[in-house]
Amino acid sequence: MIKVENLIKVYKSQKGNRSFLQDFFKREYEEKPALKQISFEIGSGELVGFIGPNGAGKTTTLKILAGILYPTSGKVSVLGHVPFDKEKEFLKQISFVMGQKNQLIWELPPRESYLLNKEIYEISDVAFQKHLADLIDLLEAKEIVDKPVRTLSLGQRMRAELIAALIHRPKVMFLDEPTIGLDIFAQTTIVNFIKEYQKQFKATIILTSHYMKDIASLAKRVILIDKGQILFDGLLDKLIRSYSREKTLTIILKKSIPAPLLEKFKLPFEYQMPLLKIKAEKTQLLKFMAQYLSELEFSDFTLQDEPIEEVIKKAFRKKP
Amino acid sequence: MKRYLKLYWLFSVQSLKVVWQHKTGVLFFMFGKLIRFLMFLFFVMILVKNTKTLVGYTFNETLVFYFTFNVIDTLTQMLFREVYRFRWLVTSGELDGVLVRPYHPFIRVLLGGLDILDLLMLGPYLALLTYFLLQIGLTTSYNLSLYLLLVVNSLIIATAFHIVVLALGVLTTEVDHTIMIYRDLSKLAVVPVDIYREPIRSLVTFVLPIGIMMTYPVKGLLNMLNWNLIIVSLVLGLASLLFSLWLWGRALKKYQSWGS
Repeated sequence: MIKVENLIKVYKSQKGNRSFLQDFFKREYEEKPALKQISFEIGSGELVGFIGPNGAGKTTTLKILAGILYPTSGKVSVLGHVPFDKEKEFLKQISFVMGQKNQLIWELPPRESYLLNKEIYEISDVAFQKHLADLIDLLEAKEIVDKPVRTLSLGQRMRAELIAALIHRPKVMFLDEPTIGLDIFAQTTIVNFIKEYQKQFKATIILTSHYMKDIASLAKRVILIDKGQILFDGLLDKLIRSYSREKTLTIILKKSIPAPLLEKFKLPFEYQMPLLKIKAEKTQLLKFMAQYLSELEFSDFTLQDEPIEEVIKKAFRKKP
Repeated sequence: MKRYLKLYWLFSVQSLKVVWQHKTGVLFFMFGKLIRFLMFLFFVMILVKNTKTLVGYTFNETLVFYFTFNVIDTLTQMLFREVYRFRWLVTSGELDGVLVRPYHPFIRVLLGGLDILDLLMLGPYLALLTYFLLQIGLTTSYNLSLYLLLVVNSLIIATAFHIVVLALGVLTTEVDHTIMIYRDLSKLAVVPVDIYREPIRSLVTFVLPIGIMMTYPVKGLLNMLNWNLIIVSLVLGLASLLFSLWLWGRALKKYQSWGS
């Protein structure tokens, strides 16, 4: 479905910190590698999360896969096509959604843009009506499709954008920060929609997001990318296992802990009534619980994984 | 082709709907266009009335030059209005959205949709042009065919120029000044380029090539062009189109997708 081999992308940019005259008469450019020989494959129906800090190369990769950017070197194939050739049959099967970009006509209601897309993607009347009804239903967007785009909130506009981007029911979707800037409710709506859409239509999806929770709730497989290089490509669970050996035990106490007992604790802890928090490896925590839980008076306790953001940070620092 | 015509029609209808959202702006725009048209007309009339002829052209012939210029100028603005908005498309990164659509990007970034305001201005220009064409009385089918052929050639050169502007926009994000240079240069041919002395005349005719665009059609109509010049102008038209398409292809390969 998607095959990338030794992909390199180098951007050329003007050198900074030069005087106006130097710049005018002898402008110098520098080459900045955005992707350094990356390779990966994505199968049909997979949902893959692309994770990396700003400038890591996530969006560049997506734009090359969608045919927007021309690769400096390397081989790219999506649905059997070379993306940059921009063949009509290829473009009709993909969709590129950018969180902060507006593809809808600002002054007119979204429905006008959908009708235009119907012709652009050569969708039959019957299919168009069905796709539109399905998407409106999934995104609960009945109220917004007939209001001018400029009057919609960011969350509403994103829902309207998604309908426009998916009205032709693409086989491959590139979602670049689809939830950026949205409030928690709008984020949840979009994430649930992506999950449901992928389940229903078996689309291949590549998703980038700064919100790790989005990625964690959607993607089984993640690709970690930094400075143009892939650091990890595999199951999110494996990544968590590799980089998150610690868990946090939180105990809600009924009575304060006697000082002699506290002195016995060998693991580092945070203690402030009514909370006792201990962060350690799972085996150590189980041992601690077996040893001391019976001596404590508590109302509840929880054992939590490390937040996904922390795991990713560790993975980037390569510190388990 | 049928699909593109349908898309063009839809873009045009939507462009009209968008224009209709700004009715006051439309009124000011039309008023400005009308004032500009009347000022130029007044200028040309004064010029010719006081001198009897302009570099050998009669009053009616000069007005045929003038209205031919206006028809070509209005047609290019009507067809390529979207080019004036291209810079924003590049700098905001919205061009990415155009490049992933299953159509040739020119349908959106070059043509976009018919500019209804220029279409409204085209009617009076065409009527006045027809009137003065009848006045000069040289309208044989050969002359008229040659005239129309050279007008089409002018539109090809104008198309090429606008594609070059788009390509430069992709490469440098500079559009506004380039297009204004084109507008200013083309105004040099609001009257026959024969009014300029050499080497300026050859420069504006063949290098820019505003003379070929705006003056040659009327010269063809008045039997003032030999076949060598006609062939040179047609070859120049074709060459400029091929060059612009090549440059556009190069520009897309160099595109860095700004704004994100």
